[in-house]
Amino acid sequence: MLGAFSSEWVKLRRRAMLLWGLGGGLFFALIATIFTIERAVKNPGLFPLRRGRVSFYQLEMPTGLVHGVVDISTLIGIVALCLFAGAFATEFSQGTMRNLLVREPRRAQLLTGKFLAIAVFIGVAVVLEIVVSCAVAFILAPGRGITTSAWTSSTGINDLLQATLHVFLASVGYGMLGAALGVLLRSPGVAIGAAVAYVVAIEGIVVGAIWSNGDRWLPGQLLSAVAHGGTTDSSYHHSLITLAVYMVLIAAGTLIVFTRRDAS
Amino acid sequence: MTSSVVTSGLTKRFGTRLAVDAVDIDLPAGVVSGFVGPNGAGKTTTIQLLLGLCRPTGGSAEVLGRPISDPASYLSRVGALIEAPSFYPTLSGRRNLEVLTRLGRIDRARISEVLAMVELSDRGNDFVRAYSLGMKQRLGVAAALLPDPELCILDEPTNGLDPAGIREMRAVIRGLADRGISVFVSSHLLAEIEAVCDHLVMIDNGRIVFQGGVEKLIAAQHSDIIATPEHATDAQALAALCTAAGKPARVEGDEVHVQAPQDWAPELNRAAMAAGITLRALTVSRASLEQAFFALTDAAQAEGEGEA
Repeated sequence: MLGAFSSEWVKLRRRAMLLWGLGGGLFFALIATIFTIERAVKNPGLFPLRRGRVSFYQLEMPTGLVHGVVDISTLIGIVALCLFAGAFATEFSQGTMRNLLVREPRRAQLLTGKFLAIAVFIGVAVVLEIVVSCAVAFILAPGRGITTSAWTSSTGINDLLQATLHVFLASVGYGMLGAALGVLLRSPGVAIGAAVAYVVAIEGIVVGAIWSNGDRWLPGQLLSAVAHGGTTDSSYHHSLITLAVYMVLIAAGTLIVFTRRDAS
Repeated sequence: MTSSVVTSGLTKRFGTRLAVDAVDIDLPAGVVSGFVGPNGAGKTTTIQLLLGLCRPTGGSAEVLGRPISDPASYLSRVGALIEAPSFYPTLSGRRNLEVLTRLGRIDRARISEVLAMVELSDRGNDFVRAYSLGMKQRLGVAAALLPDPELCILDEPTNGLDPAGIREMRAVIRGLADRGISVFVSSHLLAEIEAVCDHLVMIDNGRIVFQGGVEKLIAAQHSDIIATPEHATDAQALAALCTAAGKPARVEGDEVHVQAPQDWAPELNRAAMAAGITLRALTVSRASLEQAFFALTDAAQAEGEGEA
């Protein structure tokens, strides 16, 4: 497994991977933070704020520092999903999986090592996104008159670390979904298309039109809930535990398909 | 002589299509064994079975004395180039090999050694997307050599190579055999196999039609003795003389083609002289591997139709 982990890092250090995997996430985090702070409303009054806008009060809370990043956690998750799906499916579509299986025929170890390497890459990406987001927030907030003292309090630091963990766990969850589809469909385009369509469109339609309680049970909705540290409809612990069951099933299914299917 | 690969009734079915049909192969160790057959004959599927990339539907096989059901027990001693060489285009040749050395826990010093062996040292740091097909093929061979293998399985290694590249590849393969490495090389180019192999396995429609030494195969085929009389008008008389001696003969232009073993040539010369026919030329036409292959596959097909 260590060999598979180490070998995957040679590929993860490619310029394209750094540009799209890290750069893409950093760009979204930067834009989200700028928009969140620049569009924040000082006195919202009695009317609810329009979607995507927050009040100064919300930003001045200890959790306000990472508001922007948490808000786009689904987008960060989708970047992770594409990265995982592409990394697995491309090995099949370009024929390199055969080379890998000749050098590491223990398929479970190959799959696990490869998955862990990409998960660590995603972890690094999430930490960098949070760091950039925080730096930008600290630079922009005083200019708009937003008080930042709560951000550096012990509660603020704790909330920051928790938000980082939540976004990371959700991203790895999205990634597992992508990896499963990559192994199953063996085509990066089809795998990414199917995964994004499911998370972005299908679940939304199901929850909106068919099953209103689906946001407590559907994996995409649960991933979003975990990234936000829980929602009013689905608590963090419920989301995390239900998601863990999903992930174990998905991982087992992926492992069975990967170890039993011909790699010709 | 020990065997590098032994299969017994090895079978692989994809749906209703029988890709490999109860194949029995026994490859001697330390020699170059050729695996020939037309496209779609089952060569690549057989190789994939030996490498644990797909599971057999029936039968069994051993590679370097270990069962193919446990590929981890022997693949560290096997190098392989499977079909078209596949690499990461946005990594250099050297980095592509590094992916495999890390994965297989192979000493990274081997990268420079194998790049030198396939004469890619000066292009090792270039992106693979900038490589020609021939260079990719050589990188594929380099990848196969990384673990310093006891057995090297090369699937169509001369695909896409120009004549100079083919000659270099032949030299690489012979070099491997000279170092005591068993080589199993597949190709649909029979002349290539003939030039480099000691042992031969022929497959057609998933079935083995021949296996053994190359010389044994060719010697088993009928050779033609070609006699050219000094005067073209003597050709018919010479052909009749051969036929009378029990050797079928036909006239082609001013030549007489006689189906007979090559050691009958002196006899023919004496008989012609006794009949007053002077020969201008007397040559033996050796059956090529291609002729031998088609003779065997035609015979197998006729046998199959007979059984049906």
